[in-house]
Amino acid sequence: MNPLAALFHRNSWNVFRRDFMAWQKYAFSSVAINIFEPMAWFLAIGFGLGAYLTLGKSSLVQFIAPGMLGLAALNAATFDACWGAYERLNFNGVYESMVTAPVDPLEIAAGEYLWQAFRATLYGAIFLVVIAAFGLVHSWWSLLSLPLLALCGVLFAMPGLAVAFLVKTQEHLFYYFSFVTTPMAMIGGVFFPLDKLPRWLQDIAWWTPLYHSVQIFRALVQGTPSIGLLWDLLWLVVAIALLAYVPVPFLRNKLAR
Amino acid sequence: MSTNVAPAVEARDLTKRYGDFEAVRAIDFTIARQECFGFLGVNGAGKTSTMKMIYCRTTKTSGRLDVFGMDAAAHPREIKSRIGVVTQDNALDPELTAAENVMVYASFFGITGNAARAKCSALLRTMNLEGKERSRISELSGGMKRRVAIARALVNDPEMLVLDEPTTGLDPQARLAVWQQLLDFRARGITLVMTSHYMEEAARLCDRLVIMDEGRILAEGTPRTLIERFAAPEVLELIGVDLDAMRAPLDGLVRRQERHGEITYLYTDDNSALLARLAQAGISAAQHVARPATLEDVFLNLTGRELTE
Repeated sequence: MNPLAALFHRNSWNVFRRDFMAWQKYAFSSVAINIFEPMAWFLAIGFGLGAYLTLGKSSLVQFIAPGMLGLAALNAATFDACWGAYERLNFNGVYESMVTAPVDPLEIAAGEYLWQAFRATLYGAIFLVVIAAFGLVHSWWSLLSLPLLALCGVLFAMPGLAVAFLVKTQEHLFYYFSFVTTPMAMIGGVFFPLDKLPRWLQDIAWWTPLYHSVQIFRALVQGTPSIGLLWDLLWLVVAIALLAYVPVPFLRNKLAR
Repeated sequence: MSTNVAPAVEARDLTKRYGDFEAVRAIDFTIARQECFGFLGVNGAGKTSTMKMIYCRTTKTSGRLDVFGMDAAAHPREIKSRIGVVTQDNALDPELTAAENVMVYASFFGITGNAARAKCSALLRTMNLEGKERSRISELSGGMKRRVAIARALVNDPEMLVLDEPTTGLDPQARLAVWQQLLDFRARGITLVMTSHYMEEAARLCDRLVIMDEGRILAEGTPRTLIERFAAPEVLELIGVDLDAMRAPLDGLVRRQERHGEITYLYTDDNSALLARLAQAGISAAQHVARPATLEDVFLNLTGRELTE
């Protein structure tokens, strides 16, 4: 069985259900924390800095709003795939008890992919409502953002979980945040167009999943979808297929000790 | 048919290495169906590693390990669906309530909905946890946590229960309650496999046991035969006497003797005869303890009384 087939295994959905049951108990604070900070960035840069800038015919706030969907998915999935999964593996005995039942580490990983898909979709959807309230959503195409958020959740969960299952102490998770996710958020095309960046930075951006997801989110929210975006979608799907295996051996190794 | 007659667990030359460290060194043992089998040893003796291989958490490095006649490394799912496991640290989910812990675990065995709810409340009742269903794990005492962990392990009606140090860290009342439960399970025909470093616990619960040290099995048998073979029915502990002076008078009465610090241990069939002989010989045994031998004596005789850590 491969990890993507495991997404349909009964046990993976039971792992998802466990995470959902735990999350319900602190859902309000979780939502508040995950929404407030990106909201502050959005308002400060979009309206604050944006008041001094225009991008051709568009405003900066109009540019940033759909990018925030990609950022919301990245943050929602990364935070829990790293901190949350690290605790479930090392502190709480959550995975330890699962593997005493007939559950394979593969199904645990798949369940976590599903769970991060849910988080990314929920937190992204809240952002979608917010930017709609600011009058920044222009098309029903935006509703396709929801399945795209789920796809992004799965994709962003994979490296996050791999890091969480690999590191020896929780502090090492900061390497991933500082060296990977934060720079990716900066150059992923969320806050400014990349065409004036040096060529080499643009090339790096192309290799990040955030860049491709933000391209699609922006087109959907602005109501300007094009066939070319299917390449970005394909990029994301291929990345998922390639990364799906990566966290599993690390988890298997940790749980077999 | 073969699985019906296969022993619960059978190990031959079973070895487990973690890197260079050899945790389990070529051990042999057989656990029969419906018996209570114990692994005794100090921390680091290899008990937990052996347990982990039995409940398919980790795989052997070499040798053979069959559970219900199936290779443990090749059939983890089938084996896990027929056993219950209580790990040393309970591994209870602190973010869930007691009932949720049982329900989530049940879902991994395909038990969901009303069937899971009914099963869960019945098990928590069996373990005297009524009224604690909605308590978070952190609100429960050590004994209650252990009982939740045991309730959870029973959710699939296991044929065999594997318990790693089931009473370590519990207060005396909680320990008694767990012992009572385990005796009930044994009476119901559930095979019990447990580790312990409490000799008294092993003597009370186990039909048979092995004593492990540094990854090896030093001795195997019933508590009674082990005491018979490696100790004696009774022990006289004498404090501060000169052993050499009384060697001759005690000839024939003492099976073996040992000195550790100020204390001399005399292993004998009959303490009262021994004390009488001491009195005849004019040896003052003002400070003494006369007691039946226990597994503790067996254990200490096999592994030495010195602190080895």
